[in-house]
Amino acid sequence: MPRRGGTRSGVLAIEVPEGLLPEQTLRHAVDLLVRLVEAAGALIIFTGAVVAIVRFVALSVRRRHEREFTSVRLGLGRYLVLGLEFQLASDLLKTAVSPSFEDIGQLAAIAAIRTALNYFLGKEIAVEERELEAEHRPP
Amino acid sequence: MSAVLQTGALVCTLGGLLSAALVLAATRDVLLSLRVLVDLLVAAGLLRLSGDADVGALATAAVIVALRQLLSSQLRRDLQG
Repeated sequence: MPRRGGTRSGVLAIEVPEGLLPEQTLRHAVDLLVRLVEAAGALIIFTGAVVAIVRFVALSVRRRHEREFTSVRLGLGRYLVLGLEFQLASDLLKTAVSPSFEDIGQLAAIAAIRTALNYFLGKEIAVEERELEAEHRPP
Repeated sequence: MSAVLQTGALVCTLGGLLSAALVLAATRDVLLSLRVLVDLLVAAGLLRLSGDADVGALATAAVIVALRQLLSSQLRRDLQG
């Protein structure tokens, strides 16, 4: 039986037939999306780390200038920040199906900590960029 | 997925140790090599925290990143002047 629609206090209610989108199906779909987004975040972090390791080894073997190592570190930092953004996105998705207030509270704490991590990493990247620019600038 | 993440974290940790040793050998710069090691250790930590991480583990990671900032600024001051 479809739910009754109509207007109340000027708000139009939309008729949603029961069984069109069962809660269980929605929960499974969101769970799948959460896994996918989390996996993407982890993949970005891992890729960034592997790229950085390869470049560090290559630069060390060729005995390059310290500035070049710093630019590799900045690249790694950007990968880490991007990976964290994906993890935050998965936290947000989880809130769509969290059944209890306790779950939402825990998610909020996790999201807050990940945001803080993101902030610190971003700040560190900005400091390093400023240092690198100062080195490049002629005296 | 957990085993894959743990393996990835292990790769990052070992890669960090190798990279730090090579950077130290190539540049003789202790601070730079320490920064390289800590960067890759943070990557390993973030990988371990992907998936179903609890609040405590995440808070520890956040504290580590904050401490790392404090330590690197202190080390920079000590080693450069």
